[in-house]
Amino acid sequence: MTSPQPSVADAIASAIRTVLHDTGRDAKAVEPTMLLAADLGLDSLDLAQTIVLLERSLGIDPFRQAPAAGGRPAIRTVADLITIYTSALPSPSPPPSPSGRGPG
Amino acid sequence: MTSTPTIPDASVEDRLAFAITEIARQSPDRAAIVAAAGSPSRRGIDYAALAAAVEKLEAALDAHRPVGVVARAIRVESLVAIAAACGRQHVPVAFLAEDSRDLVGELRDWVTLDDSLVLPESASRGPRREFTAIPAQVVVATSGTSGPPKIVQHSWDSVLAAARLAEQWHGLAWLLVYDATRWAGIQVWMQALLTGGTLVVPASRDPDVVAAALVAEKVAVLPATPTLLRRLLTSADRSHLAQAAPARITLGGEAADGQLLADAKALFPQAKITQVYATTELGEVFRVADGRPGFPAAWLGKSLPGGVRLTTRRDGELLVQLSRDTADVGTGDLVERRGDRFEFTGRRSDVIVVGGAKVFPKRVEEILRRVPGVAEARVYGLPSAITGELVAAEIVLADPLPEATAPDQVRTAALAICRESLEPQSVPRVLDIVKQIATTAAGKTPRRPAPVHP
Repeated sequence: MTSPQPSVADAIASAIRTVLHDTGRDAKAVEPTMLLAADLGLDSLDLAQTIVLLERSLGIDPFRQAPAAGGRPAIRTVADLITIYTSALPSPSPPPSPSGRGPG
Repeated sequence: MTSTPTIPDASVEDRLAFAITEIARQSPDRAAIVAAAGSPSRRGIDYAALAAAVEKLEAALDAHRPVGVVARAIRVESLVAIAAACGRQHVPVAFLAEDSRDLVGELRDWVTLDDSLVLPESASRGPRREFTAIPAQVVVATSGTSGPPKIVQHSWDSVLAAARLAEQWHGLAWLLVYDATRWAGIQVWMQALLTGGTLVVPASRDPDVVAAALVAEKVAVLPATPTLLRRLLTSADRSHLAQAAPARITLGGEAADGQLLADAKALFPQAKITQVYATTELGEVFRVADGRPGFPAAWLGKSLPGGVRLTTRRDGELLVQLSRDTADVGTGDLVERRGDRFEFTGRRSDVIVVGGAKVFPKRVEEILRRVPGVAEARVYGLPSAITGELVAAEIVLADPLPEATAPDQVRTAALAICRESLEPQSVPRVLDIVKQIATTAAGKTPRRPAPVHP
């Protein structure tokens, strides 16, 4: 069993490239360390579009679910997105997700 | 050309039954209804058959005197017979569309009539209501454009208020693309049958079936929503459609844009195009016949024929005062002054709020439809945790596409044109190419809820 992380990272990179393409900007390589705003130039509309695209490709919108205790983590980098989506997807093996929420 | 029937004058509840029986007497085999038009299973129902059904049902109603009748028939000829018989027998009648059947609970003790037109056994056990001179109502559910469907009671006077009974309207063929149980549909079949006309009911809303019905039945009057007319003009076989020659096109239910009015005029140059502004609650408020979108700015604040007065709220919502002694009624429709016109920008409930900024889906749709290769467009709001909502759109590609154009190029071009013409928050962030734009049961473009994607 492989960890879901590579496919999540690919899905996020692909969604961001689609956003850049759809808005008439050059698609570039998307690296986990990149800052969403400063490096990729994504504004809140771009981020909202990325989330819709990811809901289609991954089947979940972690931002629509109630935030975990302690509030939602900051979304500054591509890696932050990868973390949020990876932890929102149901684990392929134990330990079970503490919230019990799966994809809708 | 058949001779124009003489339409008798009668009290308002009796009028439909009177017209049907009188026309049946004068020209029994004149077609009253053409069902499944535009298909091989086409069925003609003449006035004699319709009158016989009305009279038979009247006898049963007179024997049982139910408190009210819920018309649950599927066939239009049954709905007509139920309305006519209930009217003349002064029995209240309700038409509930498929999506408002739950509301039947509000009509306690009413009996249900289906296509068999046989009163159920329970009719004679329920409370009996004597024949009364008190006007009976017609109950209709709203289309739910602005909220869940609700029941509205009308007098026969208000149901027939907009009917055109003058001789120039006699004996015409009317197309029914509306749901026959909704206000707009009821208006069409009442109008057709009160004036000795023929009601043409296409077998489906498929554009090619509608086009076939228009041509084969020589339809003279085409009432439709802008969405249904647009679909007909963009998706039906053009050469076939061009053989139709409607004398009148009556648009209602939604605002028509300038492009649609121009396209309709180009294909049917002989047709007089009228836009009717009406709601299930208010009935017909006004009509515009100059072929331009919206209504003349000079109308605002003035008393229009019939005593109607139009004003606007500060946010641009159109307010209607039906007569001097009634209050202003909010319509939920937003208007904006453009030159010498007020044009409709959309329904207040359709406004998409993106990061606090308002987006009017109708305006975005108009821009998308101008993109070469785009036949139809629908714009709606998707919920977003980041911006509240996000603008999403569906487009139907023109068939054939402009030469040397791939579907994805149309999509890219559409986004580029939207970026040039619209504020950033109004540019669709989701743009899907679909085979067909969904329409609501009332024949309108749905703006909410967002569709489910596979």
